[in-house]
Amino acid sequence: MTTYYDRPLLKAPVWEWMISGYYYVGGLTGASLVLGAAAQLGDADGRRALIRRCHWIGFTGCTVSAILLVWDLGRPERFFNMLRVFRPTSPMNMGAWILTATSAGAAGALITGGRPVACLAGVCGAALATYTGVLVGNSAIPVWQQARQVLPILFGFSAMASTGSVFNLLAANEQEHRISGLFGVTGQAAELAAAFAMERRVSTVPSVGRPVKHGRSGLMWQAGTVFTAVSLLVTLLPGKSRKKRVAAGILGTLGSALMRFSIAAIGTASARDPRATFDQQLISSALHPSRR
Amino acid sequence: MTKGFFTDTTLCIGCKACEVACKQWNQLPDDGFSFTGMSYDNTAELGASTWRHVAFIERPVALREQDEGAFSWLFSSDVCKHCARAGCLESCPTGAIVRTEFDSVFVQPDICNGCGYCIVNCPFGVIDRREEDGRAWKCTLCYDRLREDLQPACAKACPTESIQFGELHELRERARQRVDKLHEQGLKDAYLYGASPEDQPGTEGLNAFFLLVEKPEAYNLPPDPIVPTKKVKAAWISMAAAAAGMLLAGLGAVIAGGKSDDVL
Repeated sequence: MTTYYDRPLLKAPVWEWMISGYYYVGGLTGASLVLGAAAQLGDADGRRALIRRCHWIGFTGCTVSAILLVWDLGRPERFFNMLRVFRPTSPMNMGAWILTATSAGAAGALITGGRPVACLAGVCGAALATYTGVLVGNSAIPVWQQARQVLPILFGFSAMASTGSVFNLLAANEQEHRISGLFGVTGQAAELAAAFAMERRVSTVPSVGRPVKHGRSGLMWQAGTVFTAVSLLVTLLPGKSRKKRVAAGILGTLGSALMRFSIAAIGTASARDPRATFDQQLISSALHPSRR
Repeated sequence: MTKGFFTDTTLCIGCKACEVACKQWNQLPDDGFSFTGMSYDNTAELGASTWRHVAFIERPVALREQDEGAFSWLFSSDVCKHCARAGCLESCPTGAIVRTEFDSVFVQPDICNGCGYCIVNCPFGVIDRREEDGRAWKCTLCYDRLREDLQPACAKACPTESIQFGELHELRERARQRVDKLHEQGLKDAYLYGASPEDQPGTEGLNAFFLLVEKPEAYNLPPDPIVPTKKVKAAWISMAAAAAGMLLAGLGAVIAGGKSDDVL
């Protein structure tokens, strides 16, 4: 196929590791707040420790998220400009508002311990964990564009997996481990299914799916999946030893973090390949051949 | 009043006067003095400090006056398209990117905080962030010159009228006549790229459009670009489903995990 000296058509993302790090931390934060809200259900007195821990992770996570995001800006001192407009066409603008609301909710939940504010923080948290998928999908980069319907689901389930894994690493009580374990295992199983669905979806156009299967980005993507799968297997093995939990926690954390970093690497690889854009557009183009 | 460019690539002689005029007027920093080895094109692409780029396409096609087997060049001066639906503008989270009174797309340097989201949202790979400056930059359609009733520097400098500046509907009319004339003269491959919403529904038309004689891919132009925002609704629906799924999974875990000791 004709290209212009194989030059990229698109510009690669300028985002550094902080943004991928934020996808992970924001997901962990959001899913923890979801669990914290769900734990308010019915007679919540017995789950005070779990709720408290969720809110602490939520509050710390929001703070770390904000730091990572500001750090990556070209002009960090202007971070506040994100909130000078309300623009639904920009998922990043929506995200700035979601993170602001989640931070307020998490802080409120931590300070007051009130049920309504904790539930609100949970709803905001669910948005925080999933909007990043919309943000990535809303882009001209072929592989991200192709995956736009799967990404929010993948990110949401991966966020649940992250929370489950972090609880595995903490010295929580048995009840906390039961609930967070179930939450995390559900997340991991669903994350693997969503990853499989995404791989299939992007591979419908071979050049678009290439970065998921080949090169450094493909290796990262596959490694993430393997870590998550092994963590899931370890969790499902019989036994309740601390060692087993920690092993599952480390593997699961690596798995979900690698998944987020690989999404960034996949996008960069896709932006560098002009054929991916050409193929994707020509396959679905409704334009008359005389116009293209 | 919609102003724009009609870049007629059949008139381009590859002199790069537009590149130089743009750099000079807008006082753009250099972007390295590298040798690409791609024909006579050492500019390579549009970027944060390069707002006009002349592409040198070498093809094994002999022109009428050439011997058989000879190769020929196509030249094309690329620029920001100032799309009717602009991906950069719609994705900008700070409102730094605005549409001006000339319907051009303009990045306000005093607002831009360098988030980089416009960069992945431009289907043409035009806008980029300047490393040493931290902000996103692209062609302004010489906003400062337009305010003073001057035409953009590139159009002013173009010696062959390959770059024509004017009111969009006039340019479109002129471009259609030019295509007809070229067809009459035997250049059947001539066509307009992005001249109307029908030509390019994904962007709803380009305020800076082109007359081309090869497939768009040859010029490193996307064949059927679509502003990402146009297709994002499905992603928001997925997100709502995913968020609901998370909340349900949380409730499920609390109910199942709170009751018995033998789960996990």
